Amino acid sequence: MAQTQSLSYTLVITGAPYASQAPQTALGFASALVQAGHRIDRIFLYGDGVHLASALSCAPSDEINWTQAWSGFLSENGIPAIVCVASALRRGVLDETEQKRYGKMASNLVSPFEIAGLGEWIDSLKRSSRTLYFNAAD
Amino acid sequence: MKTLIIVDKPPYGDWSGREALDMAFSLAAFDQPVSLLFVGGGVNWLRSGQNAENIKQKTVTRQLGAAAVFGIEEFLVDSEGLSAYGMAADALSADVICVEPGPDLYQQYQHIVCL
Repeated sequence: MAQTQSLSYTLVITGAPYASQAPQTALGFASALVQAGHRIDRIFLYGDGVHLASALSCAPSDEINWTQAWSGFLSENGIPAIVCVASALRRGVLDETEQKRYGKMASNLVSPFEIAGLGEWIDSLKRSSRTLYFNAAD
Repeated sequence: MKTLIIVDKPPYGDWSGREALDMAFSLAAFDQPVSLLFVGGGVNWLRSGQNAENIKQKTVTRQLGAAAVFGIEEFLVDSEGLSAYGMAADALSADVICVEPGPDLYQQYQHIVCL
């Protein structure tokens, strides 16, 4: 049997949870990658996808909380996850640094997500074997 | 690493075009070759005489004007999209290259992004 080549991936999620299927499709794909022995360099949330990193979303008890599901998956597998700062600030997803900078009453970025710029996405384009996009319409 | 950013939705009703443009600006700022392709309703980004003041938005023509300054290599536009919206290539708000989107075009790029 031919040995499968191991690849590195970056997944960019631009669709919001509960408004699109993007976060759960991406999580299914990411889990399959890990099971198949591939490496995930980075998850990058962009546009409406940043809502996935809000600690304040409360799913009904009979629905999956996609923020928690993603947070657990990332922590278990030690995968870096970046939230685009420009997208996050517009949509009210803040870490403590941005909370202080803008004088807001709270921060809500869920661990292990971190806020950073599009430079991280560009680094992924250069570094990963594949960069895939999970959009609202997908 | 050559990247193609595709804008396929009209300006103003949707934020994805602006965020696609931000990606293009960032690539250019990091000295990475990048082209913008406007297809379908996205060709309306290039319409002359736009004024978004009454809907309390910034007119996108100014943002596109900054693209050359940032070093975005070229604006490509889907010929069919222009026809569909009754727009002429020589009456747009920016210099463009008319193309036929498809495999021949896409294979020139290592990365293609369409939000």
